Amino acid sequence: MGMLNYIARRLLFSLALLLGVSVILFALINAIGNPIEILLAERPGVTEEIIQSVSQYYGLDGSVTDRYFTWLGNLLRLDFGTSIIYNQPVGDMLWTFGLETLKIQIPGILLALALAVGASVLAATRQYSRIDFGVISGAMLGHSLPGFFFGIILILIFSYWLGWLPSYGAYSTRNLLWDSELADGLWHMVLPVGMLAFFNTATLTLLLRSSLVDVLRQDYITAARASGLPERRVVMGHALRNAVIPVLTYLGILFGLMLGTAPVTETVFTWPGLGALYIMAIQQLDYPLIMGETMIITVMLVGATLLTDIAYVAIDPRIRLG
Amino acid sequence: MAPPLLSVEGLQVQFHTRDGIVRAVDGVDYSVGRGETLGIVGESGSGKTVSSLALLRLVPPPARIAAGRVMFEGEDLLAKPERELGAIRGRRIAMVFQNPATSLNPIYSIGSQLGEILRWHEKLDRAAAEARILSLLDLVGITDPATRLRQYPHELSGGMKQRIGIARALLCNPALLLADEPTTALDVTIQAQILDLLADLRQRLGMAMVLVTHDMGVVARMADRITVMYAGRVCETASAATLFSAPRHPYTRALLESMPRIDHRYTGPRQLLPTIAGRPPGLLNPPAGCRFAARCPEAMAECRTTLPVETVVAPGHSVSCIRHGSQGIAA
Repeated sequence: MGMLNYIARRLLFSLALLLGVSVILFALINAIGNPIEILLAERPGVTEEIIQSVSQYYGLDGSVTDRYFTWLGNLLRLDFGTSIIYNQPVGDMLWTFGLETLKIQIPGILLALALAVGASVLAATRQYSRIDFGVISGAMLGHSLPGFFFGIILILIFSYWLGWLPSYGAYSTRNLLWDSELADGLWHMVLPVGMLAFFNTATLTLLLRSSLVDVLRQDYITAARASGLPERRVVMGHALRNAVIPVLTYLGILFGLMLGTAPVTETVFTWPGLGALYIMAIQQLDYPLIMGETMIITVMLVGATLLTDIAYVAIDPRIRLG
Repeated sequence: MAPPLLSVEGLQVQFHTRDGIVRAVDGVDYSVGRGETLGIVGESGSGKTVSSLALLRLVPPPARIAAGRVMFEGEDLLAKPERELGAIRGRRIAMVFQNPATSLNPIYSIGSQLGEILRWHEKLDRAAAEARILSLLDLVGITDPATRLRQYPHELSGGMKQRIGIARALLCNPALLLADEPTTALDVTIQAQILDLLADLRQRLGMAMVLVTHDMGVVARMADRITVMYAGRVCETASAATLFSAPRHPYTRALLESMPRIDHRYTGPRQLLPTIAGRPPGLLNPPAGCRFAARCPEAMAECRTTLPVETVVAPGHSVSCIRHGSQGIAA
């Protein structure tokens, strides 16, 4: 009973949180003023009547509370409104662009996790060796370099000099690679995924290695060795599982902030994802799109936090459901 | 005479640090017969824990076993390949650790961590392993063993955890149990219970035991023979009765005198318990001669320049002190 009860309570709390975010978001957007006025003001031939009729068209003429509840009601029916710049349903745009973002972010994080586990085990089991020093230095460098810098280096080497990989976009506009959409899509994913994996690996490795070094010093590790268990089982079974616990939080944040960090990657690789869309929406003051995307980012973050907490309970028996 | 179960010869463990080599264990010899309990006594930093970890090659880096032999059942453990040593660890020689709170893995249930060891060594199936664990938990005095199997370390008391640590060591019926300060982290009543349990188990199972401790009371109660260590070297080895009634090494004598005795009135204005003045030498650059010379009430000039060699002074009694019959080598 404990687990379901816990999840149900956390879900309720998450809903309250989302509601709070929606209020703040709506208030902030409205603090800008009437976007129609801002977009159309001082253009030749724009009269007060035109502004008013356009505002009316977009439902911007009611009181703030009325408009909030209309917006919220629509949100609950998954209706995010219509983009005022692209004149398309925001929900459809978020879905299309969102898939493109997930396509590079999820492989990027999973690849980073796998690489970080490998590098941390390699380094922590040989503490203070040259390998350990190399792993730490590499991870430090990757952690300190801005992500986009590495992206640009990748483009320089693999697109500009070698010409092996495309440097922008998710698909070729003509002449697909091997005439296959799948191959062409994967081909375009290599560089952005590589850049994401690079800086995520760096930070994860720093965290995981130091956690693993600490765990490997614990008595229960010496005890496991003294019990005759093979080193592989001691490290992978006994040490790594304990070492992952403090890193879970960061992993949760990575998944949650996937969309928040997407703008950088997607700008470097001109990737048609939510990050690029967000930047455009803000620049053009496409407020239904801004609000829709902000809500999606919030939902992802809250969802990831919830999943992290559930993962904690699943991995660490000391955490009580209370 | 049959060879002893375990004999440690010239064991040296060194820590390679930036400042130089720390000689934590510097030429230690002792032996344990089948079914015998050897107490190793020494203060913190005397090398007693490191030397017992070294028997199974478990010293943590940057420590390194620099020299010596550890003969166990006719084989040198220090020369064995890692894989073969793995079959001895936990099966023929098992360890009980000092701190029960940290020596069990917090994220596995008792049943799963004990079962893993048993299945690895004995290739038992799940049901047989569980039956064996249940009978062992019962043997070490744990109530309601079936429930404990499903519990996690944090759900158990310190005394209970130490009993489980002992059960873990007994899983494969070892010939030798290494117990490193098994009662130090427990409160006094639990200490007594655990010591009784160890004494009882040793008798029932016919195990030999190496009991490492800084507590003279514990060895007096448990050990057949006692080895006293100081600053990485052995001072004196004798049967428990001899060591307490006729200690020879000045360090052993000073240690015994600094134990409060209920049948002794202390003299002097404040009736102080005698202590040993000074502190143990640093092991980075240990003194050339006897390690205890600087604090020894009987030291003479020669003690600072001559390294005493452990010498048998009576049957079963050996001492490393040139004032008390030992040979020495000029350092």
